[in-house]
Amino acid sequence: MSESLLLVDDEEDIRRFLGLFLADLGYDVHAAANGEEALAVFDAVKPSIVLTDIKMPVMDGLELLKRLKARNPDTEVVMISGHGDMDLAISCLQNDAADFVTKPINHDILDAALKRIDEKLSMRRELRQYTQNLEKLVREKSSRVVELERQLAAGQMAETMCQAISGLSADLGEGAGYFNEMPCFVAVHNASLAVVATNQLYKDRLGDMVGHHSWEAYAGQALRGADGPIRKTFETGKGQRSRETMLCKNGRELPVMVHTSPIAATNGKVELVLEMAVDVSEIKRLQEELRVTQQKYMDLFDATPCYIAVRDRQGKVVANNRRFVEDFGEGVGRTCHDVFTHRPEPCQDCPAEQTFADGEPHFQETVVTTRDGRQRNVLISTAAIRNAAGEVVEVMEMAADITSIRELQSHLTSLGLMLGSISHGVKGMLTALEGAVYRVESGLRRGDVARSQAAAEAVKALVGRVRALVLNVLYYAKSRELAPETVDAAAFAASLAQTVAPKAVREGVTLDADIASDLGEMSVDAANLQAALVNILENAVDACVADTAKPEHRIAFRVSRQDRSIVFDIEDDGMGMDQETREKAFTLFFSSKGLRGTGLGLFIAHDMVAKHGGAIDLTSQPGVGTRFVVRIPDTPPVVEAASAAQSA
Amino acid sequence: MTKKTILTVDDDPNIRDYLEAVFTDNGYNVVTAENGDKAMEMLKDLRPDLITLDVEMPDKSGPWVSRAIQKDSSLASIPIVVITGHSELTYIIPKAAAFLAKPFEADEVVRVVRGILGD
Repeated sequence: MSESLLLVDDEEDIRRFLGLFLADLGYDVHAAANGEEALAVFDAVKPSIVLTDIKMPVMDGLELLKRLKARNPDTEVVMISGHGDMDLAISCLQNDAADFVTKPINHDILDAALKRIDEKLSMRRELRQYTQNLEKLVREKSSRVVELERQLAAGQMAETMCQAISGLSADLGEGAGYFNEMPCFVAVHNASLAVVATNQLYKDRLGDMVGHHSWEAYAGQALRGADGPIRKTFETGKGQRSRETMLCKNGRELPVMVHTSPIAATNGKVELVLEMAVDVSEIKRLQEELRVTQQKYMDLFDATPCYIAVRDRQGKVVANNRRFVEDFGEGVGRTCHDVFTHRPEPCQDCPAEQTFADGEPHFQETVVTTRDGRQRNVLISTAAIRNAAGEVVEVMEMAADITSIRELQSHLTSLGLMLGSISHGVKGMLTALEGAVYRVESGLRRGDVARSQAAAEAVKALVGRVRALVLNVLYYAKSRELAPETVDAAAFAASLAQTVAPKAVREGVTLDADIASDLGEMSVDAANLQAALVNILENAVDACVADTAKPEHRIAFRVSRQDRSIVFDIEDDGMGMDQETREKAFTLFFSSKGLRGTGLGLFIAHDMVAKHGGAIDLTSQPGVGTRFVVRIPDTPPVVEAASAAQSA
Repeated sequence: MTKKTILTVDDDPNIRDYLEAVFTDNGYNVVTAENGDKAMEMLKDLRPDLITLDVEMPDKSGPWVSRAIQKDSSLASIPIVVITGHSELTYIIPKAAAFLAKPFEADEVVRVVRGILGD
């Protein structure tokens, strides 16, 4: 390459001839007539050598020298002077001129000067090149060192992580045994798509791949070339997740789930990629096992002959089984007391609440109402569901339907239970009867007629109570077939009112009987149906007595015929029932009267009405009153009599 | 000799009438109360020689009355005859002078009361 040279002289002849001479020496010669022009050419051409006359118009050579050195100190400037002025020469050399040549120019001298300059230039170039090379070399070496350290660190990290994982799984013991069985291959790759480090398991199963191409561990690499999750991670800078097939060192193919994670340098460039591959065939097997186990639990959950609901602390049902849904509707999202009892407020002595409090199982026998209004005797047992920290987060309620057991018990064992529960009442009645008889006798002895009469009234009332109780017990002890007889419905209704009237009078309750005269005849088991209806009427009186909020009470007893049925409408303004009491009213041994009730009366009444093919419609509101509407067909369904009693 | 007074506490009017008749016939003064509160109200002024007490009554039951009597030093020495249909309930009134199980006959109650009062 020819050196470019700028020749500056105000004399055109010199520029031309000297220019030709310099071109012959092999320089690429540019010319300028003065300093100003020279600077413009210099800026455009950037010559390494400048030959300049000193005496020039506009800008002289010395000034040009200073300016050139200011622009590029490496420019070699040769000064040409018309006379050997020593001071000027010194001044030029002080300003870093390369040489000083006097006119007339001796070509040999000029040639020698230029040669020196050439040597100087080439030395400088070599030096610069060498320095640059050295810097590059240092950069290369140090980056290699950094890279190696980084790869070493990444390898150690991968290995440490694997150790930590296996240590952790060992600590967890048998409970996490499957963790040990779950192979996880860990490798680190660099940007050249080469494996830098792997964990022991990787090495054991896939072979020693360090130094190999990243994609070599994958099956089908011939088809995909360098393409794969590692390369994608480098390209996108984002972690990848894909199903791949890896090659074991014995050539077997292994389905894996590969996760990659980019490891970026501080400049954000991805330098390494961490690859973690999990043997999916193992996971698949475990997933299948888990699914089968879960399915077994779900089948069990659904097939268990119990209502099962899982509820949270707020009482909300979070899961329920098939049977639960069948009988109570979908419970999820509703409160369990709403589902079970149709009441807005939580149940008293809720066993689930107790389990939340102490974590222990609890039991409760209660009566619940299905979505179609049927009562079910259930035995509820609860079990705590705990989280990993052992806290009770949910409670499972298993309600076993013991309605049929209760029904079975009704003729056998529960008779004893019933006698126990009513024995106190019986004893009280017998004592009162004893007392009344005593007073009759003592009144007679002393001639105290008033005492005897009062006592005789008490005897009559008490005998009535004893009789009703004994009939109930007998009815209950033996499920009797109906003994229908044809009666005049109006007379039958009037006898009901007459039976209850004394009790109503005694308790200060007005009994308004409104019995239509054109009721006609009906075929009923008069004695038993009477007992049932009297029971409802007496309950109405009791409900009035129990209501202390109102000064006086009234019972409206209306009897009418509607088509083929006689309707007995009994409405009181007593204490009323809440929904739960209402729903349980006809179940066995449920009594809202505390020790005064046996829990038998309404159960038997309901049973008897059902046997007649009739129905009881109950509406009630706490504090307002209760209304029983009893419909009895004028002729009982003969064939269905037994089954009607069953379904009741 | 002045007649001795018996306070009979029972929520069942039939039983109150019964005991009143029996005690009156046998020469005692009888005062009756239908619940625990009424009984304690009467005992502010009244110092009966004996109290018959029903166990199961609404609100203030027999055990409550018994405790209230034991707490009052001026009443604590009055003998209490507990009348109950639950013969297994004797433990709930430990200081009772006697228990009488329902149903009982007139002779029986008179014998028990006389035994306690030394008549």
